[in-house]
Amino acid sequence: MALVPLSYNLRSLAVRWSATLLTVFGIGATVAVLSGVLALQQGFETLFSESGREDVIVFLRQGATNEGDSVFSLERAQILMKTLPEIAVDEKGVPLVSAEMYLAVRRKKIDGGESYVPIRGVSPLSFDIYGDGVRIIEGRRLVGGADEVIVGKKLVNRIRDCQVGRTLTLNTTPFEVVGVFDSDGPFASEIWGDRNRIGEALERPVQSRIVAILKEGTDLAALAERMDSDPQVPSKVLTEREYLTSQTQALSFVLKGLGFFLALVMGTAAVFTATNTMLAALASRTYEIGILLALGYRPHAIFLSFLFEALVLGLAGGAVGCLMALPLNGVDTGAMNFQTFTEVAFAFRVTPQVMVTAVVFAVMLGLIGGTWPALRAASMRPTEAMRRV
Amino acid sequence: MIPFTLVTKNLAKHKLRFVLTVLSLAVAIFLLCVLRSLVVALNAGVADAAANRVIVQSRVSLFVQLPQSYGPKLAQVDGVECFARWNWFGGYYQDPSNFFAQFATDPKELFDVYPEIYLVEGSKADFLANRKACVVGAETAAKYGVRVGDTFPIIGALYPTADGSAWDFQVAGIYRSKKKSVDENTLFFHYEFLEKSLESGFASGPSGVGIFVLKVAPGFQPVEVMSEVDAMFENGPQVVQATSESEFQAQFVSMVGNVPLLVSSIGGGVMIAILLAVLNTMLMSAREQTRDIGVLKALGFTDGSVFGVLILQSFVLCGLGGLLGIVLAKMSEPAVVKGIGSMFPGYQVTNPTLLEAVGATAAIGFLAGIAPALRARALSVIDALRAVR
Repeated sequence: MALVPLSYNLRSLAVRWSATLLTVFGIGATVAVLSGVLALQQGFETLFSESGREDVIVFLRQGATNEGDSVFSLERAQILMKTLPEIAVDEKGVPLVSAEMYLAVRRKKIDGGESYVPIRGVSPLSFDIYGDGVRIIEGRRLVGGADEVIVGKKLVNRIRDCQVGRTLTLNTTPFEVVGVFDSDGPFASEIWGDRNRIGEALERPVQSRIVAILKEGTDLAALAERMDSDPQVPSKVLTEREYLTSQTQALSFVLKGLGFFLALVMGTAAVFTATNTMLAALASRTYEIGILLALGYRPHAIFLSFLFEALVLGLAGGAVGCLMALPLNGVDTGAMNFQTFTEVAFAFRVTPQVMVTAVVFAVMLGLIGGTWPALRAASMRPTEAMRRV
Repeated sequence: MIPFTLVTKNLAKHKLRFVLTVLSLAVAIFLLCVLRSLVVALNAGVADAAANRVIVQSRVSLFVQLPQSYGPKLAQVDGVECFARWNWFGGYYQDPSNFFAQFATDPKELFDVYPEIYLVEGSKADFLANRKACVVGAETAAKYGVRVGDTFPIIGALYPTADGSAWDFQVAGIYRSKKKSVDENTLFFHYEFLEKSLESGFASGPSGVGIFVLKVAPGFQPVEVMSEVDAMFENGPQVVQATSESEFQAQFVSMVGNVPLLVSSIGGGVMIAILLAVLNTMLMSAREQTRDIGVLKALGFTDGSVFGVLILQSFVLCGLGGLLGIVLAKMSEPAVVKGIGSMFPGYQVTNPTLLEAVGATAAIGFLAGIAPALRARALSVIDALRAVR
């Protein structure tokens, strides 16, 4: 089967450069918007799911979907921490387990307005459990029992009084900020303090969740099943990774829904534009099509030729769209974690996955838009086509 | 003088292109309206807030409950006519995905403090008389098919019952609201029922009061009430923040993050894409009309009327597309409310939104038409007549 040389289409696109450019940028803008939304979703999801560890386990109250909902009384938390043989111990034989208190607190933003910031009451053992996951980058670690807090790196430029040396007042108790820490996960948007001191300041004598390191080779499923029906402290057990992944569901759902809706609506408009451009290309080249047919090219070769041209338009649009979205990569933004109502800082991530989705989408737009004009081109008769000027 | 028939005749020359351009414009304007309406929905509570209501919440966090003992003290404050306690219940119907707002509140005071709430079915007396009674917003009632007299079982995620069963609320009335300050997706039940259930051990969960909503008596300044309340609890045990209702609502808007920015970025992308599409169409048709322009000018039509013919085509094209988009947005309003009303109560395609859409349409019409129109005006008769399509 003889195909029309591809250079014919490329030259045609170049000749009608203004229409080509407008279409390419039109598709590009559509694709860029979609990529932006997807990059937002990716950034949020990566922050949570990729920072969670498989060997750290989280205990929540039964039925709780997040630590904000979860409550353990102090006694129950103690019982739970002391009765689990599955928990790993450090070299001195101390079990690596820690209860944490979690609350979203209202703080003033530096640039005005308010934001809900998670505050986490921890114990010295928490640092042993998280290990490298929490790194002090300025100042020092907090001392147990003192009215001190350390703040996540992402808060320093965003939230008032979250800088080393400043005083942060919780309810009526002042806490001194003694350090800044970094973390790859959502911890970097949190304030950490001593569990007991924070609990007293906030008048919340309860714990929210318990974290521990699992002994190697422990059957997590069996532990989860046992704890589910534990007579003393029934609880829900999951790995840190599972927990963090579950936190992204609501926002991911919203963003994916928004992305899909936008893709559908803006895609429709982009397909119409592509069709228009290809129809115009067709109208001005009727004579040429006649010649091609007269030369012996089969209708399906003409069809493929025009479809190829539309594909190039889509591909170029996809490339332009990716280029437009690429500067977003790494840009810091914030979004609300719907599960805990707290604001989390993270960066847009224009991942390869986002770009592939964008380009595939753009090519589809081109192809769908080009099909009808290509069919029309293929159904022309040589004599008629050549007669039309 | 502008030959108006020429405007319509030229547009109708390429019917398919005309229809596709109008449709893509309609889709884009529809999208702009929907996005704008989502922002309007977010701000609906702020816009419709009453001036005579003061909200007292914990200064630390909305998730911190205030002590019961604050109630009688608040009643003593000068200018406080009455107050209603509100407590977030955080339950769902059958499945966590069937999530909507429920509040434990003071039944009688609710109607005093919120005169915009009225029952469309059932009776207030029944609601007040029965401690297990509730009133349900008309939207929620319709969604789950709940009627007066029904039992509405709600699973308390935040307030689990001891035996894991649902809370059986008895529907005494269906309410609507005259203003957007109260949405029609909420369930209100007796605060006392919650309190007694916690005391008796029927259920467990946070005790205390989420917020106190004070009604300020006529003749008193809400601002003075606020500062008196703030000062009253300055030294704890729980520091409070008394705000106007609009400030209270605004905190939710800021909590969701920078949605207006996200929406305007998306809107900008949509505008660019559609502008390019219409410009493409206009350039195509202007090129095809080059000869006609020469003829017109040779016949004695002025440069001005030629300019008019071209720019009017752009305006007619965009006007039709924009109109269609606006009609689409307005017509889809009930469907959108039904679909995402529980997430965006107060979704409404308002007149200002429609005006903005008209403005956007006119801007696109002008920008897409101006270049071809200017070119047509400047074209000399000879060049125009000599042009080859």
